[in-house]
Amino acid sequence: MATRSKLSGTAALEDIEGVGPQAFLASIVECSDDAIYGKTLDGAILSWNRGAERIYGYSAAEMVGRPVSVLVPPNKPDEVPAILERVKRGERVSHFETTRVRKDGEVIDLSLNVSPIRDASGQIIGASTTARDITEQKKMREALAERAKEILDVSTPVLQVWEGVVVAPFIGTLDTQRAQQFMERLLDKIVQTNSAVALLDVTGVPAIDTRTAQHLIETITSVRLLGAQAILTGVRPAIAQTLAHLGINLADVVTRSSLAAGLRVALDILNLKIITQEDQAKGAHSL
Amino acid sequence: MTNQNISLVKVRNTLLVTMPADPDDVTVTTLQEEVLGAMEEYRPKGLVLDISAVETLDSFFARTITETSRMVTMMGGQTVIAGMRPSVAITATQLGLTMVGTFTALTVDRALDLLTHPHPRRRIR
Repeated sequence: MATRSKLSGTAALEDIEGVGPQAFLASIVECSDDAIYGKTLDGAILSWNRGAERIYGYSAAEMVGRPVSVLVPPNKPDEVPAILERVKRGERVSHFETTRVRKDGEVIDLSLNVSPIRDASGQIIGASTTARDITEQKKMREALAERAKEILDVSTPVLQVWEGVVVAPFIGTLDTQRAQQFMERLLDKIVQTNSAVALLDVTGVPAIDTRTAQHLIETITSVRLLGAQAILTGVRPAIAQTLAHLGINLADVVTRSSLAAGLRVALDILNLKIITQEDQAKGAHSL
Repeated sequence: MTNQNISLVKVRNTLLVTMPADPDDVTVTTLQEEVLGAMEEYRPKGLVLDISAVETLDSFFARTITETSRMVTMMGGQTVIAGMRPSVAITATQLGLTMVGTFTALTVDRALDLLTHPHPRRRIR
């Protein structure tokens, strides 16, 4: 006969042959990959599952009765008391990322969830902690950040395409960080190559918002202050439309729809002309 | 107080003024006075303001430059600002000190070229 158990959601467990609801739940805790342990409100360990043994390296026999502070690295003396204070107030601590020290001395990264344990009358009698080993996760996060930084470095190249002309192709969107880096790179290259013209190509920019447009204008202004001429190239109809809608006036800026057209302007500024070898052989006079 | 010297030299019918690294307000004001005095004495066709040593540009300096440039124009000359450092250019842009209407050149050499052989395309807007 199925009777409603005091533990919520365990009515169905009554039906399982040979296993009481308590034992069933206990085995769930034991089988978990996460460290699950209970402690008193003073931080003394009451229970220690197999996951905890694996993650921390201490056996249950070694840990039960000992203070949880043995796991805490020496540079965080106030962490456990702070957590227990919150638990005593009935609060839960969720996804708290921190470090702990294993039995072999290795420092590991963990995400902790700590909740109050209440008795039948609702009184808080202890704290239950679930700790997930996030060392791998953290490594991946850091690798991802590294990769993002690499992309940032690689995707803002400034190339000298001729003596006196540099080309800076924008790829993708321009956030503030990229814009700053881009500007610095461009200006340094202009000085380094003693260039008179900088072609800023936005063919590779899919969408342009107010902020990106602002960064572009700033870049063009800085180039001018330095003493070179900036030409905006690759302005496609979609971008021209957006800029017009944003009310941005590019009247002060020389623009061209393609990089090739921009190059033509650059050569003109430098008083250069490209002629075929035939023309040269025929002895064509240069202007 | 560091000894801040503005160097003022007449080169090829042009006034070449070199600013020290960190000009204080007094030095900046002196710049304008000295330029105007030299304009009167030599009647050059232009002024090249070399700021390649300048590391910081504040609004007072920027304003004085723009003013001086206007005065030079009124006296029949042309001003070119030469050698602005990238970091200064970025800061100036972000602070909105764009010194509209002034000519700029990467180096003093280029600035002198600009003044002696003005190319219509070279007009920086």
